[in-house]
Amino acid sequence: MEFYFGLAQIIGIHVILGLSAYVLMLTGQLSLAQAGFFAIGAYSAGILTVLFQFHIVPALIIASLVAGLFAFLIGFPALRVRGLMLVVATIAFSEVVRLFFFNLSWRKTIDGIEAGPDSTNGFREIRFFAANGWEPYQVTLFVWLFVALVMFLIWWSDRARSGAVLRAVGEDELAAHSVGINITAVKVAAMTAGGMIAGIGGALYAHTATYVDHLTFTILLGTFAIAYPILGGLRSVFGTLLAVVLIQGVLVEGLRALGDWRNILFGVIIILTMNLKPGGLFDTQTVQALRKGLAFRDKGAPNA
Amino acid sequence: MFYPKNLAGLLPAAACVVMLLLPGLSQAQERTVKIAGWGAKSGPLRSFGVNSEAVLKAAVESINAAGGVSLGDGTRAMMEMEYYDSACNADQAISVARKVASQTEALIGIGPTCSGAAAAMYGIFQKNVDNSGDTGLQFPILTDTAIRPGLAKKSQWTFRNVPNEINMYDELFAWLRENHPDVKTIYGGTETNQAHSKLTFAKVIVQMATKHGFEWVGGGIDGLTGKIGSGSDQVLETTKASNWLMEDTNFSVQARAFKKSRADMLIVSSHPFTTCGMLKEMKRQRVRPKVLVGLTSSSSQETLLGCAAEAEGMYIPTGFAPVTSVAKRVAKAATANGGFADLHSAAAWENAWIIKQVVEETGIMAKPSTLAADRRKMRDGLEALDNVDGLLGSVGRVRDEGESIKPFVFVQATGGQWVVVHDPRN
Repeated sequence: MEFYFGLAQIIGIHVILGLSAYVLMLTGQLSLAQAGFFAIGAYSAGILTVLFQFHIVPALIIASLVAGLFAFLIGFPALRVRGLMLVVATIAFSEVVRLFFFNLSWRKTIDGIEAGPDSTNGFREIRFFAANGWEPYQVTLFVWLFVALVMFLIWWSDRARSGAVLRAVGEDELAAHSVGINITAVKVAAMTAGGMIAGIGGALYAHTATYVDHLTFTILLGTFAIAYPILGGLRSVFGTLLAVVLIQGVLVEGLRALGDWRNILFGVIIILTMNLKPGGLFDTQTVQALRKGLAFRDKGAPNA
Repeated sequence: MFYPKNLAGLLPAAACVVMLLLPGLSQAQERTVKIAGWGAKSGPLRSFGVNSEAVLKAAVESINAAGGVSLGDGTRAMMEMEYYDSACNADQAISVARKVASQTEALIGIGPTCSGAAAAMYGIFQKNVDNSGDTGLQFPILTDTAIRPGLAKKSQWTFRNVPNEINMYDELFAWLRENHPDVKTIYGGTETNQAHSKLTFAKVIVQMATKHGFEWVGGGIDGLTGKIGSGSDQVLETTKASNWLMEDTNFSVQARAFKKSRADMLIVSSHPFTTCGMLKEMKRQRVRPKVLVGLTSSSSQETLLGCAAEAEGMYIPTGFAPVTSVAKRVAKAATANGGFADLHSAAAWENAWIIKQVVEETGIMAKPSTLAADRRKMRDGLEALDNVDGLLGSVGRVRDEGESIKPFVFVQATGGQWVVVHDPRN
């Protein structure tokens, strides 16, 4: 079962990463900064549990807040650009973060072992779970507790006024502005929320992998973050979940024997989805079909 | 009450039950020693995984051809190997390790390729055996490729059979000092985003060269002595060395800096892909040092396939060369399996034979019911090893660190081949 628990942890963490981009994409912003926020969360939480012996829960909360703070700070300058320019600006941010951690060396001797970020050597010994006797199923439950929490908050928000405001800005900024919505506040709030969510994902990742280095947070990670909501669709949070299961569960793990062909298949799936289901796998059509199916089952089949 | 018609309906179900039981029955009759390998078979470093798999497959075939492995109760068992692609990726290496440990009956894992992936993967293993408070993975690993110093001591379940670069470069520069007395000054560079290339250059190569009296050009480096790691921060400064990245395809600035240095000896500390790019640019700019030294990982067939002419004359210390009869056989078998034997992949051969030795010495039973105990015996057996037979001679083991001390030779690229120019074993 260890393998399935590990796989469930990877899927859960990537769902959180995908949802961090999902929130932002609701407002029509395409950002590759999620890899940077993920890195900030990973290193912050790792530093707290390893160098300062924090418990994982406060470390996660602080890491999320730190990532959120950075997201808030870059939210304002990011407002000045949109579309492709925003993508380029957020790539630049992610690279700055990555190279910062590439050069960060902060070593302390803990219990006779030198620990902490060690520039190129990466950050080892982030072993809170194993060192404290957490069983793999407990770690998996812990990860999915946060997945459920994030999914619920976004799902709930989508049914409240806040969700409608996010979607309104994403659909038509001018129209949203004309009805009194503060575009700046909404976009910065979405960026901050996305950063906080990515920070949680990064913090969980660092503790399940036990090691992080700058190569973990390349542009590829940022690309995955936006690929999940694109593939799953922005109709529902379950679309991102479906996309992560498809990519991480089926493509990366299930088709491991295909080697490099997996990358080609990944591209093909994205192209096919964008052409055949532009709204994503979990688009309005799919949701309605599912609702119809459920309603049909509840009412029972009509008499022949 | 059963009627013939109902019985007929039960037949497919009965057949299914028998089919499900058959594998179990055959397992009971034929025991096998299962091992698993994993490494980069996709991505830019895929040749490392392809080579390791080819050599490991050849080793398993040779063990089976020699009668297989003797188990604890005297039964002879064949060895079975399965190889997985974990790219050069930490997530995937961890995932494969978990899969092999929990979903297969493999006694031990061999891999992964990249040091970064190995450093991450080792972290999920139990740190100290018998520590019930540590829920890390309890599964033995014997890595063949990931070479970055000091990794195996992360866990008592992880072992490596990789060369010790400190000894290799120490001996190489001593030999160069003796054989090239006209060489006084050195200069070089590395791919700074590849941890192995960078660390070996900044902490080992430059220091070992200094130890043997070679002088870094341009006024030297502050704090640089012959001690490992001395002055390493400064070595990588752009004013001291000329470096590049793994993804770079243009090396004109670096080659120009190499030329301007007018050093007698140049060092190209990188993997085959950028080594070839750099050497080609050096040739284009007519950079002609008296001596050229490369990184251990470039003593491979990939370098010769990519830039044999440009690499002509380059010296590299390596843990593998076809200088013994068995090493020649391994090189041939690896090629037959679609790969090449080099200092990294050749260790996979030794690993398979080490596993055979440990199985026979510790009385491993290779039964599904004894899997956990067998894995523990395998770990303890590896820990207890002092010396094992390697392809170039005896391989020493470093107790409590899980590392090896391997014999090595110095090779030089000559006429499209790696030719052994010095064998410190003699």
